[in-house]
Amino acid sequence: MMLDRRLVLVSGKGGVGKSAVAAALAIVAARHGRRVLAIAMTEALGLASHLGVEALGAEPIQVHPGLFCSVIDRANALDQYLKLQVRAARSIPTTQLTKALNVLVETAPGVREIVTMGKPIFEVWEGTWDLVIADAPPLGQLQSYLTAPQTITGLVPTGAVREQAASLQSTLSDPAVSGLVLVTTAEELPIVETRQAIAQIDKERQILIAGVLANRVFEPLRTPRATIEQLDPSAARDAGLLHTDLTERQRVWLDTVPDDPQLPYLFDMRTPAEVAERLADECEALL
Amino acid sequence: MNTNVVVVTGAGGVGKTTLSAALAIAVASPTIRTLVMTVDPAKRLADALDLTGLGGDPVPVVEAPGLWAAMLDATSSWEAIVRRYSEPEVADRLLVNPYFRALADRFPAAQSFAAAETMSIFIESGSWDLIVVDTPPSAGGLDFYLAPEKTADLVGGKLLHWLTGAQLPGRRFLYRFTGKPLLKAADVVLGGPLLEDVAEFLLDLRTMYDALTARSHTMQRYLQAATTLVVTTADPAPVAEVVRFFEELTEIEVRPAAIMLNRSLPHAWADAALAPIANVPDPAVRAELTRNLINWGGEARRQSAAMAGLADRYGVPLVAVPWVPVPPTDPESLEALLAGIDLDELLAK
Repeated sequence: MMLDRRLVLVSGKGGVGKSAVAAALAIVAARHGRRVLAIAMTEALGLASHLGVEALGAEPIQVHPGLFCSVIDRANALDQYLKLQVRAARSIPTTQLTKALNVLVETAPGVREIVTMGKPIFEVWEGTWDLVIADAPPLGQLQSYLTAPQTITGLVPTGAVREQAASLQSTLSDPAVSGLVLVTTAEELPIVETRQAIAQIDKERQILIAGVLANRVFEPLRTPRATIEQLDPSAARDAGLLHTDLTERQRVWLDTVPDDPQLPYLFDMRTPAEVAERLADECEALL
Repeated sequence: MNTNVVVVTGAGGVGKTTLSAALAIAVASPTIRTLVMTVDPAKRLADALDLTGLGGDPVPVVEAPGLWAAMLDATSSWEAIVRRYSEPEVADRLLVNPYFRALADRFPAAQSFAAAETMSIFIESGSWDLIVVDTPPSAGGLDFYLAPEKTADLVGGKLLHWLTGAQLPGRRFLYRFTGKPLLKAADVVLGGPLLEDVAEFLLDLRTMYDALTARSHTMQRYLQAATTLVVTTADPAPVAEVVRFFEELTEIEVRPAAIMLNRSLPHAWADAALAPIANVPDPAVRAELTRNLINWGGEARRQSAAMAGLADRYGVPLVAVPWVPVPPTDPESLEALLAGIDLDELLAK
C-alpha cells in the first residue's frame, strides 16, 4: 500500500495536481487515525490552499484531526540541521554561524537541496509523526533533490556533513521507510516525462516508487459517439462529443500505463480545498 | 530597432507553450518576421512545431514562412554570458568550476536570467519584428521579471560581502579571510573546504558584477516595454496563481495586456444545462447526456464566474481560447486555436 511507510514524497509534472494529491493522501491517512505531517518542500501555496489554509509556516499547524501541515523554511531547517546533527556546532554560536550559512544555502548549489531534502527526513527520525507526506518539487527539479545527498558527498571530502548526507541517503532509499508517489494526467507530456523520471529513479535506486496515479481521468459515456452525432445540433450534443473526444484522447495515453490507478476528473470544483477533500474520497476508495 | 516583444506567462500545465506557438504562427508572415522562443527544458515547442533538433539558434519553421523558433539552453547561455562579460582567464576558471554548472542548471533565477539575456540579444539583433517569449515554468509568475535583479544580487556577492566584510573583495582577501574564526568553524561543521571553494567561485563571479548589473537594467526595460499575456485555465490552482501574480505586480512596472483563458467552454452550455433536453428520444441516452451536460454546464458556469472575477478585479481584457480535445501539433491547427481572436488588438501596446 502506497501509504504504508513513514515518509511519502509526492511529485509530478507542473499542473497535474501534485499538491492536491499530496493533500488528499494526507487527509486519507489522518482519517485512518494516523498522526500526519503534510510538509511543502519548496512552494507552500499549493499545499496550503488544498488544505484550506491561507498560508503555511515552519511551525506545524493542525488543519484536521491528526493532520498537521507546514512549509520548509530553509533558514529554520538549516538551524535544525546543524543543531540536531552536527556535534561540532555546539561549540559555535549557531545563530552567527547559521546567518553565514543561510546565504550559503541560497547560493551554493546542492546545499539548498540537501537542507530541503533533509527536513522531512528529520521529521521522520524525530518520531513525532506516524507519516510525513512531502509535497515535493515538481518533476523537473525532483532529480536534483533526490541526488542532493550524493552531490554533497561528492563535494565534501570528509566530516559531519558527509556522514549526514549518507544517513539521509539510507533513509530515503529504504523501501520500508520511504516511498515516492508520482502524479500524472492522461496527456502526452506528463506521461512521457513521468516514464523518463521512473526509469532514472529506478536506475539510480534513490527511492522506491510507491505508486503512480493518473489524475483527472474522464469517465467514458455509455452512449456511442455515432448516437450522439446523429442528434440535432444542441449544447447536449456538443458537450457529449467533447466528453467523448476527451475520453478517447486520454484512452490513448492511459493504454500505455494500464497499471496506474486512476483518479477521476472532478466536475464543478470551486476551491482547492474542495478538490483535495473529494480526491481524498477517491483515494480512499482506490487504496 | 523596432521589435515588439510578447511575454507569455502563467502557471505550469495551462498551455503557455502551445499558445505562444499559436500566437507566433498566427502573426508571422513574410512581412512580419516573428521569432518564438521557448525556455521550457522540455522539447514541447519542437513537438508542437514538428521540428527536431531545435537548438539555441533560431531556425526557420519550414511550414510557416516568416516564423523562426529557438529554444533556450540555460547552461550554454550562461557559458556565453561568462565569455561575454568576464576576463578570459576568469571565464576559463569559472567554466570548469563545479559550482558554475550547478548554478546555471539549478538556480531558477539564473535560468530566467539566461532567458532574458537571450531575449535581449534577439531584440538587439534587429532581425525580428515580433518576438514571442514563452517563460520558464515557475512557482511564482514574477520570477522571470525579477531574475535580472536577483541574479545581479547573487553575482554582487551578498555571501562574499558577509564573509569578508568588504564591499569589493579582491582575490587576496580570500587568503586573509580563511583565517577568520567563523570560516574555520564553518569548515569544521561542513567538514571540508566547501565555503572556501564557494567563496573562490563567487569572487570570480563577482568580477562580472558591473557588467551584469548594467545588463539587468537593460533587460528590465525590455520587459517593461513588452506586451505581457497571462495564460490560465479556470481550475482553482492556476486562477489562484493569476491572483498572486497580479498582487505581486506592484513590485515591478509591468501591466499585463490580457489574460488568456485556455480550455474555455461555450458560455451557452451554462444556460442550456438548466433546461431539460428535448431532442433525444432514447431515455437512457437522454439521462446520460443530461447528466453530462449538467457536468459541463457547471464547468462553463464556473469558468464564467472565474473570468468575471478576474476581469472585475484587474480590469484587463480576457481572451477565451476554446477547449480542444486534441492538443494542436501542426501549424494549421495551432493557428486555428486563435481563430476569432483579434490579435492586432491583443498585441497593441
